[in-house]
Amino acid sequence: MSGPLRVRARAAGMAAALALLLGALAAPPRAAAEPMAVIVHPDTPVENMTLAEVRRVFLGERQYWNAETPVVLIVRAPVAPERTVVLDRIYRMSESQFKQYWIARIFRAEATSTPKVVYSNQTINELVSAIPGAISLVRAEAILPGTKVKRIKIDGLLPGEANYPLR
Amino acid sequence: MPALMLRAAPRHLRAACAFLFALSCAPCALHAQGMESETSAAGTAEETYPSLKIRGFTDVDYAATDSAATPDGFQLGQFVLHLTSPLARKVSFFGELSMTPSGHDFHAEVERSFIRYDYNDLFKISVGRYHTPIGYWNTAYHHGLWLQTTVRRPEQVKFGGIYIPVHFVGLVAEGKLPSGGLGLGYSAGVGNGRGEDPSRGGDNGDVNTNRAWIVQLLSRPFDAYGLEAGAALYRDLVPLTAPSSAREWIYSAHVAWTRESPELIGEFIGVEHEVVGLSGKYDSRSFYVQAAYRLPGAANQVKPYTRYERMEIASGDPIYAQPDLQVVTGGIRVDLIDVAAVKAEYRNQLTEGAGRTNTLWLQACLTF
Repeated sequence: MSGPLRVRARAAGMAAALALLLGALAAPPRAAAEPMAVIVHPDTPVENMTLAEVRRVFLGERQYWNAETPVVLIVRAPVAPERTVVLDRIYRMSESQFKQYWIARIFRAEATSTPKVVYSNQTINELVSAIPGAISLVRAEAILPGTKVKRIKIDGLLPGEANYPLR
Repeated sequence: MPALMLRAAPRHLRAACAFLFALSCAPCALHAQGMESETSAAGTAEETYPSLKIRGFTDVDYAATDSAATPDGFQLGQFVLHLTSPLARKVSFFGELSMTPSGHDFHAEVERSFIRYDYNDLFKISVGRYHTPIGYWNTAYHHGLWLQTTVRRPEQVKFGGIYIPVHFVGLVAEGKLPSGGLGLGYSAGVGNGRGEDPSRGGDNGDVNTNRAWIVQLLSRPFDAYGLEAGAALYRDLVPLTAPSSAREWIYSAHVAWTRESPELIGEFIGVEHEVVGLSGKYDSRSFYVQAAYRLPGAANQVKPYTRYERMEIASGDPIYAQPDLQVVTGGIRVDLIDVAAVKAEYRNQLTEGAGRTNTLWLQACLTF
């Protein structure tokens, strides 16, 4: 490779690296494009919910599935793609607003506890299958085979179907 | 004997003892409220009862004013501990203790203390001492100063004020109403009403044989998260100089949009008093409108705000002895971190018969 060509190639490489770096710095955390499944404990008396109903449950406005079964909210800790989708698509809040929202709800005696926070999808699978009334959001492909969780339809759709709203 | 000694002690001392006793009784399962950290799948799955959680609120203020009624300089705000304790799967306790600086000491108070049984979302019943569900501010913010955007509360619910009975001792049923996407809810209670001091609930029994009652309806539409609209009606018989008393009707309406960009709150509270055995009614009215806007992007911690409020007290009212007033407030709130903020607020108050006063408030507030 001649001198000018080598210089041009190096400049192009540096420009590409700089663009990648700037892109990585400037890009806000993006919701994963992969579909997220809403999963519940297998005994939960629900098969299909609208997105508005899911939002009501996660906001703590609905606290009981029925008189015997309280709702138990489980969410992933920050940074996980499931967390991003929960905040962006369901709560429509930033991390700060999410924290402040639950402090206010408990202060107003509208809730007794915040959602349980977990650090892995495996724990979500274990907890949702173990706790009656539990509900969470997990990547559809992260539902462990053999786990006793129930995947529910959102607006009549399952993850992977066209127009599925949680991704 | 110790119980007798305690009974003989001044009220603020008894309250302080109760405050310390409550803290000393905190079980091992005590932890601060917040996002719970994961332990293990098995550990998290197992609920333990009781499970006491405590959250605190406090603030420090600075005032510069030309009003003789407002002290200048640094002021400690209330030190508030909010307690939540699930006692069983469907039974919970909520409590709130405050320590308020006065001229020569701190005054301890049990602000809220009630036990609640949840049958389901449609019916929850509780008994104890509450923030009276009249209007919006009284239940949404009250002693949680960090929760409110502004430094000062509106005059109609100001600390120590008597415009409405801010606390309610009695029994309350509450829940959701089947209403589709309207998100209707209700709250209905019967209790002691105002005490001998009209700013207080009847903590140690009713001062007459007439119970107060309240009904509140709320709407939080599913498709407009952040919107709340509500109305309430409250009724009591308030003792005046014996043997006289006054019938009291309080009616309120509010709308609040709390998504912050913008935040809009409007609240109206009307009060009607009628002295038993005399003709004539005394109608007083109070309202405020507040607007705030959390700035976008890098200035996201900043929220400028403004509020206009007006209070018109009926001339000759048998309970109120306060003048009409209007207040214009403007300020800025900066959230330094998720749980602490500083605020700067200018307040211009026009009081009937006393003229106009100006106050600059600075405040650091937090929850912990």
